[in-house]
Amino acid sequence: MFVLFCPHCQEKREEEEFGYGGEAFRVRPSTPDTVDDETWGDYLFMRSNPKGWNWELWSHATGCRKFFVVKRNTATNAIAGSWTLAEGRKVYDAEGGAQ
Amino acid sequence: MSHRVKHSGARVDFDRPLAFSFDGKSYGGYAGDTLASALLANGVRMLGRSFKYGRPRGIVGAGPEEPNALTQVETGAATIPNLKATQVELYDGLIARRTTGWPTLDFDLKSLCGPFSRFMPAGFYYKTFQNRTLWPRFEHIIRQAAGYGSAPEEADADTYDHRHRHAEVVVVGGGACGLLAALDAGRAGLQVILFDEQNEMGGWLLSSPNTVIGGEPAAQWLKTIIAELRSLPNVEMLTRTSAFALHDMNLIVAVEQLQDHLPLAERSETKPRQRLHRVRADRIILASGAIERPLVFGNNDLPGILTASALTTYLNRYGVGVGKRVVLQTSNDYAYQGACDLANSGCSVVLVDTRMRPNTAWEQRAHVAGVDVRPGYGVAAAQGGRAVKGVKLVKLDADRNVMSGEGPTVECDAVGSSGGLSPTVHLYCHDGGRPYWDEEKLAFVVSATGRAAAGIYCVGSITGTFGLQAALAQTQQTVGEVIASFGKAPAQETRKIETDEPEATPARRIFRVPDGKAEGHGQKAFVDFQNDVSAADIHLAIRENYRSIEHIKRYTALGFGTDQGKLSNVNGFAIAADALSKSIPEVGTTTYRPAYSPVTFGTLAGPHEGDTFEPRRYTAMHASHVARGAVFENVGQWLRPQYFLKPGEDQEAAIRRECVATRRSVGLMDASTLGKIDIQGKNVREFLNRVYANAWTQLAPGKCRYGLMLDENGMVMDDGVTACISDEHFVMTTTTGGAARVMSWLENWHQTEWPDLDVYMTSVTDHWATAAVVGPKSRQVLEKLCSDIDLSPGSFKFMDWREGTVAGVPARVFRISFSGELAFEVNVDASYGHHVWEALMEAGAEFGITPYGTDAMHLLRAEKGFIIVGQDTDGSMTPFDLDMAWAVSMKKPFSFIGKRSFARSDTAGPNRKQLVGLLTDDPSVVLAEGAQIIERPDASLPVAMLGHVTSSYFSPELNRSIAMAVVRDGIQRRSDDSRKAGRDVLFAYSRGTTHKVKVVSPVFVDPKGERQNG
Amino acid sequence: MAEPLMQSPLSAFDLGVQARAIDDSRGVWASEIPLLAYISLRGDAGDAAFVEKVVSVIGMPLPVAPCTFAASNGVTALWMSPDEWMIVCRRERLSELTSGLKSILQGIRSQVADNSGGYTQVSLQGRNALDVLQHASVYDFAALQPGRVVGTTFGKSSVYAYRADNGFRLIMRRSFADYIWRYLVRAAAPYGLGIAAIEATGHAGQGVAE
Repeated sequence: MFVLFCPHCQEKREEEEFGYGGEAFRVRPSTPDTVDDETWGDYLFMRSNPKGWNWELWSHATGCRKFFVVKRNTATNAIAGSWTLAEGRKVYDAEGGAQ
Repeated sequence: MSHRVKHSGARVDFDRPLAFSFDGKSYGGYAGDTLASALLANGVRMLGRSFKYGRPRGIVGAGPEEPNALTQVETGAATIPNLKATQVELYDGLIARRTTGWPTLDFDLKSLCGPFSRFMPAGFYYKTFQNRTLWPRFEHIIRQAAGYGSAPEEADADTYDHRHRHAEVVVVGGGACGLLAALDAGRAGLQVILFDEQNEMGGWLLSSPNTVIGGEPAAQWLKTIIAELRSLPNVEMLTRTSAFALHDMNLIVAVEQLQDHLPLAERSETKPRQRLHRVRADRIILASGAIERPLVFGNNDLPGILTASALTTYLNRYGVGVGKRVVLQTSNDYAYQGACDLANSGCSVVLVDTRMRPNTAWEQRAHVAGVDVRPGYGVAAAQGGRAVKGVKLVKLDADRNVMSGEGPTVECDAVGSSGGLSPTVHLYCHDGGRPYWDEEKLAFVVSATGRAAAGIYCVGSITGTFGLQAALAQTQQTVGEVIASFGKAPAQETRKIETDEPEATPARRIFRVPDGKAEGHGQKAFVDFQNDVSAADIHLAIRENYRSIEHIKRYTALGFGTDQGKLSNVNGFAIAADALSKSIPEVGTTTYRPAYSPVTFGTLAGPHEGDTFEPRRYTAMHASHVARGAVFENVGQWLRPQYFLKPGEDQEAAIRRECVATRRSVGLMDASTLGKIDIQGKNVREFLNRVYANAWTQLAPGKCRYGLMLDENGMVMDDGVTACISDEHFVMTTTTGGAARVMSWLENWHQTEWPDLDVYMTSVTDHWATAAVVGPKSRQVLEKLCSDIDLSPGSFKFMDWREGTVAGVPARVFRISFSGELAFEVNVDASYGHHVWEALMEAGAEFGITPYGTDAMHLLRAEKGFIIVGQDTDGSMTPFDLDMAWAVSMKKPFSFIGKRSFARSDTAGPNRKQLVGLLTDDPSVVLAEGAQIIERPDASLPVAMLGHVTSSYFSPELNRSIAMAVVRDGIQRRSDDSRKAGRDVLFAYSRGTTHKVKVVSPVFVDPKGERQNG
Repeated sequence: MAEPLMQSPLSAFDLGVQARAIDDSRGVWASEIPLLAYISLRGDAGDAAFVEKVVSVIGMPLPVAPCTFAASNGVTALWMSPDEWMIVCRRERLSELTSGLKSILQGIRSQVADNSGGYTQVSLQGRNALDVLQHASVYDFAALQPGRVVGTTFGKSSVYAYRADNGFRLIMRRSFADYIWRYLVRAAAPYGLGIAAIEATGHAGQGVAE
């Protein structure tokens, strides 16, 4: 029951408006047909599931229906920020990926 | 005995007498009374029997901390169980009864256990019923004997609502500090909401009207501040509103009792009984105060023994003297004002102060009032049967909490004890805050600076600032910070508010008063009244090696009652700490969770009941269906006709009639609920190639194609027909239940993975109303209503779509079929849906056109072996498992979603469950859906399961039963497979009987598709 | 065959029969503004060509600031998302606007979809209109400024909402309209609910905020 800032609507909205989309910035292998089973299995099933800061995908389900990213602390529900996918990617990369 | 003390400071209106009944007897009270104060005024001491031992119990507290006085209020549909009498406002005609004491209050079955109580220690039920077969036999008797109220048996006639709001400042608690906080914040122009759970603002000051505050009596001070608060338009004060939870990011949840205090006849039917407030606050100021905890001593549960503050509250606020001869026992200064007030009201008062040296200023005031102060003593045990009659005092050691000598026995008819104040830190802790033990204050307190970074501030007793003057100063200071945090300035200079309290002196650190005996050998000394947890039980738990306070709590049930341990927890922790030879901080505290006090289910459900329980989605043709006798079923929130009943028909007959009519002549089905997604852009074909298993590059405008949508595991997640409107414009259909999920799925892939693809998607599900005209006569029906489309078989082929006019309305007509019959799906703007449906019914009348529902639809498609995603699939079926390799294009350049997973060892391996048809040996047997498929009829247990039946019907067309099933290696077992080698005979275990079945192709009717193509 | 008759999503409630002029006797006044045209428009707000061409058809600037709308000459354009708008107008102008947009946006990354059958709207007025929304939605409607439109929850459903006619305008999907109306009736009951004649909204039959 927290509040998220939608980077598209540019407003803080209640969690009820959003849908959770799992871990952000998972990378689909660019040539799935040539990767081995382990690589594909990792992509399908393995998540970092950290206790602490987590980059998450959310969608503004009852609002603009856009997907965006949130950096949220899974232990405290503290939220470091919300970004559009493109902007979030830059911040994420600058941090060196998931921490 | 108890009696009325009519004084002008009381908050009851002695000019407004009220009548009420309790346990069938009639009593009188006054407006402003609670049920508890009125019962006490009438001399009703014993209100129930205890949970485990059946001991007589009476009122202990005066608010939400009350552990004993649980009552069932009102009857029938309006009844509410387990309300605390201390929180029930009296009204004329109120009907209440006790919830404990069985079979009667005078004779409680459990009291027989009393002499044997040493055989019912902590963990009794756990130990006794480790043999679980015994429990069911005893559960009913034990539960009835234990008591607690009864759930209402009638539907709740009241309504409840929810209200979502935002506020700059929410203040919780309308005592002196809360009011001052609201005033300062309000004067500074902040938007403030103030909650208080009681019927009027004032908190403890209502119990202490003689306290001088700011140069005037508390009652006058309250009047002034409340009047000013009322005059501020930016301040909203809500009484009878209990803030019971604080969630992440300052979401306060509170329940407002709007009508519970009114006589039933005066309650409005149009207004809610209770309202749930959910307020998102920029800043929260917790002024939730503190609750006095009692001391633990022998027989401390006798009726007539209360907390000292409760005795004081009943006298000052409600004008009720609980006794004439009162013994107060205290470890601190707080009981002195009450002692003086009780003495001044005419009681004889003995004040037993466990300290060697009481506060001299208070001692003097007590002497002036005629209180007999006995320093250095404690109450070892109370005496009496169904009410307290006296107390046995002991001399206490100056340093250690042990007995140093005998003391006198004092006769009395009421006892009040004070073991100190326990701050109401609950809300502060709900979202992760922790209190800490203050050894000087002898309390779990929260920091005076709160959690300002999170916007949570704390004022008054909750911070351990127990003196009124100091608390008001701390409040002013803190609210100043709150105002500054908004970038605003206080409206005026902070002025010092003085009170007449003497300087405080330290309390004695004592929780359990000694009686000279080892724990468990003296009189029972209760820590938790509601769950009958004694000090000896805590010692026992520790002897049995429960060390963590969370375990001790669960083993003894300490603090588990509806009072949530408001009186008992700190005493329990302290007694545990002493027994463990640890400090209280080392033992720690248990976790505080919402709700602070019980909330009715009605309030939590709020408007989500009755016809607003869940969205019910209707198609544009709904009225047509109702008029024709439709029985509806819920599919993805939509109400869809399941079948249409004609007079004298049952469900089975209706389905049969609908199927026969459709296969022989023409049927009409409302397919509006299917999800529809309009997709446009230069890259639509590529997009479809990626999200569907099959290929879309060649599909020409005017054509449709069935597609299978897979998840990344290669499993079927949805299916539907997609039409090519033009090279850059397609319309996709999805399953009814999958529409929103598919839309979000497509957007997710487009936005996160392929933003470069030039496509846009928009849901047009609600825009189109769809009527499926199905059956050999469907063309003739449509021809009557449509003149601008060439419907001839040579021109308008199976899987074509055309744009035209149907019944005078622009339409898209798809020649697709989910029944295997010649069929046309007519799509029109939903505003015309009803019109077009009725026009089709009229045009089809001469052919006996028959509307059919989802049951007939399911049967018709099963005869053709068409799958229903979610019924014949369960998230573990690939297209190959479904024998639908024809709907997979492995040659597409982009590795479409799910493709790579086909090559994973398990997906590509043998022994997969595959979709097949089943024919029972006995054609009249309709297998149960879910029936297990086994290899042999006589196998011994456990039997290996080969699969299960997914769809099963009696086919009117074939005049026999048919079924679809998923079976290991099923495709190779089919009798139409050349490799079968006799493997096509299996058995299905259905409704207790094993039936021989033959594994066949699931296409039972018209396998060549001549009908749909005709 | 009967003449084609259009039915609005709330037609089953026969609101027209109960409608009357707004007065002080009720705390909440509501009515359906039925059978308007709704066009879903998608495109890139950053693409000057797209924005320019849309403007030439709808006759006013396309609102590109988040959560805003613009209205002019009987056409309302509501921002739905950075690449999505809802164009609302009278039915009479549906085909002109739809075909106008479709033809002018040829070759430009965009989508034009007639969604007229899929939506309806409700006008909510009266001194307790805000209270009703607070009973129904988690959004902070007290803070909603004129000229802004938000998509948010309504009970277990969702609406687009903006301030209009001294109250609020709620746009909802057809299939959810029944649920939303029933919820609204329930929430408004304590304040007294009146069904407002549409004329009283000042936007007879067009329901477009000016």
